[in-house]
Amino acid sequence: MITAGIDIGSITAKAALVQDGRILGDKVIFTGYNAAAAGKRVYEELLAEIGVTSKDVAKVVATGYGRNAVAFADKTFTEILAHAAGAHYADPRVKTIVDIGGQDSKAISLDDKGKVKNFIMNDKCAAGTGRFLEVMARAMEVNLDEFGSMSLASQAPAKISSICTVFAESEVISLIARGEKRPDIISGIHESIAARISAMLARVGVVEPVMITGGVAKNAGVVAALSKKLGVPIEVSPHAQQNGAIGAAILAAAL
Amino acid sequence: MQKTDLINALAEDPHSYLKEIKQKNAAKVIGFVCSYAPEEMILAAGALPVRLLTATENPHRADLHFQSYGCSLARSILDAALAGRLDYLDGVVFPHTCDTIQRLSDIWRINLPQTFFADVVLPVKLTSPAARQYLLDVLQKFRGDLEAKLGAAISDAALQDAIRLYNAIRRNLNRINELRRAHPGLISAKDYSDWVTAAMRMDRAAYLSLLEAFVADREQAAPGHPASRAKKLVLAGGGCTTPDIYGAIEEAGGVVVDDDLCMGTRYYEALADESLAPLPALADRLITRPVCPAKHAGLTRRADDLIARVRRAGADGVIFILLKFCDPHAFDYPYMKEMLDRENIPSLLVEMESDGQAGGQLQTRLETYMEII
Repeated sequence: MITAGIDIGSITAKAALVQDGRILGDKVIFTGYNAAAAGKRVYEELLAEIGVTSKDVAKVVATGYGRNAVAFADKTFTEILAHAAGAHYADPRVKTIVDIGGQDSKAISLDDKGKVKNFIMNDKCAAGTGRFLEVMARAMEVNLDEFGSMSLASQAPAKISSICTVFAESEVISLIARGEKRPDIISGIHESIAARISAMLARVGVVEPVMITGGVAKNAGVVAALSKKLGVPIEVSPHAQQNGAIGAAILAAAL
Repeated sequence: MQKTDLINALAEDPHSYLKEIKQKNAAKVIGFVCSYAPEEMILAAGALPVRLLTATENPHRADLHFQSYGCSLARSILDAALAGRLDYLDGVVFPHTCDTIQRLSDIWRINLPQTFFADVVLPVKLTSPAARQYLLDVLQKFRGDLEAKLGAAISDAALQDAIRLYNAIRRNLNRINELRRAHPGLISAKDYSDWVTAAMRMDRAAYLSLLEAFVADREQAAPGHPASRAKKLVLAGGGCTTPDIYGAIEEAGGVVVDDDLCMGTRYYEALADESLAPLPALADRLITRPVCPAKHAGLTRRADDLIARVRRAGADGVIFILLKFCDPHAFDYPYMKEMLDRENIPSLLVEMESDGQAGGQLQTRLETYMEII
């Protein structure tokens, strides 16, 4: 049986196709202004790439903030449940998930069966999210893809004390003006995110193994800073950005 | 139902109703800011007591007086008053409960001197033997203040009448709470909230007759009401002026079966003893009513009460709805959550501003919570 998961995030829309527990394929596009159109397009493009039609797909589950805009979904689940299903699929041992998406971040704890026990979500603020990193990368004039690894070369991370994205940006601009080294500033930015995320994780409790999912999991600097801060290794989801869509497809198979 | 329309409309905009009733009945309208106000006394003085609950999106006038990390409800009320939107009030009563209301009272006295103004300085610790005598003195003083400033004598007979009227309202509101507990979904959370809010604003006698009709209507509908499959929830927290969240809870698959809100059971649950003299009856009611976090009535009283509510309703969980920067509730939250955890009662914390909208993030949190409890 083939099932599909559609994850409409604030910045990107993701689709995944799963057949009997095996990932057939996945796709990521920008969400843009129209969440409904993005959901339809990413799904149709993925179907065409894999060479199946919508008739071959038994069930579709939509997730993410735009989940209710996906008219062709059989059911919707929140991204917290979808990421839990996706992480449990990738590694059934996982007990704690950090999901850092474009505009929100979540700490999720799972029981032995992969069921969500507890969760904490950031509160209407972009601090500690992908958007925060985008703003900082722009201020630093560094391509987002290089941004993560660049901080790994830092010997003396700069201190960013503001939690607010807007204030942190002006703090970063002051550091640039003072001539601080780029890797050190970027490393400081990653440490500030790690501090915020680890406080959230403390509230649900950190039980190993810990997995990071969501687009920001692709940023090696954030992962390293968070791992250092928590003092535990962090497993990066093999499909970080598509994890929610894969989880949704897994949930669809159980409908 | 037409009657509910009026109640819903009153929750949206009380100002035009209050201006109209003031003109029609030639009655004075006295605002109050907290459910500890001795409303019976105001009513017995021939005035209409009205709870002030306003939501102002950008309270820039209040910002001149209040820090921006002050409670949004107090800031909104002050802003509305400074903007002249509460000019129809003949006075305001400030029961001393939280620090913010006490500061609001000072700011009001200095900046809005044109209206009648009274502080009701309640005891903080309600369980001590001295509290009752102190409260009797406070009520006696308030009675004198009202009489002097409104130019009306408050007779014992008028107070007894007011107590009886309030008790009748409270009995009916308690019946509504029983009905929603026994038949989840029979009364929507928004309707419930609007009825409780109207109880604090409308002409009380007119309200009682509408309420009695509503209760009778719901009693009749109850036996045929389909069993609800939604998750049964108890709401805990302060004055919730964001009706948006009720719709969001129901959309996420929840149904509210009880609460300990200031705009809920804390307001109406306790009745005054009609066999006592009026002042002791009022004092005893204030001492024994469900307690506010700004008052003390035992170290774990609020959590004990909340757990009892969950058990009694067979609820699946608790949602704490706290106003941002409400210190008394924020101080109580950790111990209450801990006690709920020990009882294996799941809970979710939602912090809101008084004009807060239920956005996508809140919906996601609510939906996930309903799924895991």
